[in-house]
Amino acid sequence: MSERSALLSGIGIARSYGATPALRGVDLAVGAGEIVAVTGPSGCGKSTLLHCLAGILRTDSGTVTYRDQDIGLWSEAARSRLRRTEFGVLFQFGQLVPELTAVENVALPLLLAGSGRREARQVAAEWLDRLGVGELAEQRPGAMSGGQQQRCATARALVTQPRVLFADEPTGALDALTGEQVLGEIVRVVREQGTSVVLITHEASVAAYADREIVLRDGVLDPTGLGLGVGR
Amino acid sequence: MRPATLARLAVAGNRTDTLRTILTALSALLATVAMLAAATVLTITGWAERYTNPLLIEPGLRPGVSATLILVALPVLALAGQCIRLGAPARDRRLAAIRLAGATPRESVLIATAETAVASLLGSVAGLVAYLVARKVIDRPALPTDILPPAPVIVLLVLLVPVLAAAAGAVLMRQVIVTPLGVERRIRTRGPRPWPGLLIAAGIVLFAVPTRLPEHINLSKNWVYAFLGSGVMLTMVGIVLGTGWISSTAGRLLRRYGRGPATLLAGQRLITDPWNGSRTMAALLAAVIAGAVALAYRELLATEFRYYDIYNAMMGSTDGGGMGAAEAPEFYYGAIRLVVVAVSLASVVAAAGVLIALAESIVARRRTYAALTAAGVPRRTLSAAVAWQTLTPLIPALVLALAAGDALVRLIDSEIPVGYEFRDCVAAGYGGCEAPRHPEMAQILHVPIPWGSLALLGGGALLAVLVAVGAGLLVLRASTDLDELRAG
Ligand SMILES: Nc1ncnc2c1ncn2[C@@H]1O[C@H](COP(=O)(O)OP(=O)(O)OP(=O)(O)O)[C@@H](O)[C@H]1O
Ligand SMILES: [Mg+2]
Repeated sequence: MSERSALLSGIGIARSYGATPALRGVDLAVGAGEIVAVTGPSGCGKSTLLHCLAGILRTDSGTVTYRDQDIGLWSEAARSRLRRTEFGVLFQFGQLVPELTAVENVALPLLLAGSGRREARQVAAEWLDRLGVGELAEQRPGAMSGGQQQRCATARALVTQPRVLFADEPTGALDALTGEQVLGEIVRVVREQGTSVVLITHEASVAAYADREIVLRDGVLDPTGLGLGVGR
Repeated sequence: MRPATLARLAVAGNRTDTLRTILTALSALLATVAMLAAATVLTITGWAERYTNPLLIEPGLRPGVSATLILVALPVLALAGQCIRLGAPARDRRLAAIRLAGATPRESVLIATAETAVASLLGSVAGLVAYLVARKVIDRPALPTDILPPAPVIVLLVLLVPVLAAAAGAVLMRQVIVTPLGVERRIRTRGPRPWPGLLIAAGIVLFAVPTRLPEHINLSKNWVYAFLGSGVMLTMVGIVLGTGWISSTAGRLLRRYGRGPATLLAGQRLITDPWNGSRTMAALLAAVIAGAVALAYRELLATEFRYYDIYNAMMGSTDGGGMGAAEAPEFYYGAIRLVVVAVSLASVVAAAGVLIALAESIVARRRTYAALTAAGVPRRTLSAAVAWQTLTPLIPALVLALAAGDALVRLIDSEIPVGYEFRDCVAAGYGGCEAPRHPEMAQILHVPIPWGSLALLGGGALLAVLVAVGAGLLVLRASTDLDELRAG
């Protein structure tokens, strides 16, 4: 993947929490429709990298470029709008609003972007169907199993038809079988949509779905690239 | 974001959020009714013989009646402020999740404030309705049901509470940054300093100005009110803010000299969040200061009545032809009793605020408490810690409030000489000075400090808080249920 055709790229990303450096100069490029797995030991900075790329965290130095624009220069509000239009975010857990029903949760990015309630709910219901949890539309997250919650969260991350999906161990809290199923659904849908994915994972079986794997160690890319063994 | 979306997200909530909304609306209702009543009393003009209530007839007394009603409204408003913090952890989580879905920082503040504003608007409109209904139901001669404040004033008062509540909510939201990953509180690293002491001193000086001016400077009545009023206000603010310093000092002392885990836990909490006390106790302390002022003033009045009695006896006039108050003293005492009733009401409301704050702080830390219980810390220790944490700063703050209230009134007069009028009159070179018949009765009357009633006031406030702490400990019992460790 040449830097030029990259949809999203990070150059020299560094970020610390107080005195603790989490990332120390990471370069990464994601092409359109490409699924990139990020692996590495716990605490190596995977989540931090994802948050920087998604514009949730600002980098200390280095740039994050999306469609040739340096989003580091954008305001907090502009980056928020990016998250409800072009980006989708999927975490291990905790991204659903516990007080809203499944369909309201999925409709949320559309509503925030200014859609009317009726259309937003309709689109949201279709997405819930697509991920196989249509019958749970009126349930709240607290009344769903972990796998159902992640399907809902996936529907919410994809409802705006984002160009990039950021997934941080999306199946990390699920048992192996459910994890497999949910991940299968996610991959099927993003392939259909041509969505690019930054996928963080600990598990080789998950990384195997990716086109490419990069390995982080102590906040830098591992040059040997010996990770969980994708594409080899 | 469309208004409908804003409304939906603003009212999304769990049971605690519903409770908060109801309490916010209820306190807005009460405050609005009290302020409308105060405005109605101020709308009466001239001598109003049509009422049976002497407090309403005399123009000179009506500002006092209004001030008393506003005094009741203040702790209710403070209660509304307390409510904003209720259920904050769950709301923080919700706001972060909404931010993650793409809400901008401004939208998240809007969502958080809209709920408060809408709830208090509903409450104050309900208050207006209640006020209008009460006018129709209550009979005329006792209360001013025949007049209404001007329409703009009514509109202003109905909007005042929601606007204040929304502003307070927005200010509180300034202390937090809602990020998509969670809510970060901007923590102040420096502990409170004793600077509010200067405010108290400034308040006392302002209050003293009209009472200590040389004879030949005549302040207009409005200036006198302005000095006295702002003096009392500054003193109140100083004491409320000073409670932050008192809390952190009490915390440090508890940690240094305390024995056992309860005082250690309490001390640590006081140091970590010293402002909790002044937020929680603000309304109560303000009410206690107002009460102390009223009680001290009652003592001053009593001394003045004694002065008239002795003076008249000295001059030999017995048949009421002498100098003195036109009305029976009972009338003035009645007015002061009204203030004391208002203060008691205010204290009850303030204690409700204390309970809410306490329950909120316990619920917010319920995991920690449950984990401590699981680790073998007895519930008794946790309860003792909560009690220490509330009462250690409260008691010195109460003493300070009582002392300040009494001291302010003592500035007006702490002793009244009687029987030296003839001597002074002659010394000043006036003619026609009237000699007393019983010069041996000359004496200096000392205005006593009303120890008994001050103790009663302080004790009452303390009792109210103790009841609130007791109720809060019930919440603690429920929160230390080990199930809380598993609850999402
Ligand atoms: N909010 C924070 N405050 C302080 N330090 C943090 C914070 N978040 C992460 N860190 C630190 O930054 C480093 C990288 O954390 P990060 O969460 O990015 O790791 P990770 O690779 O996602 O780990 P895991 O696989 O366990 O999720 C770690 O050393 C962590 O302790
Ligand atoms: Mg992580």
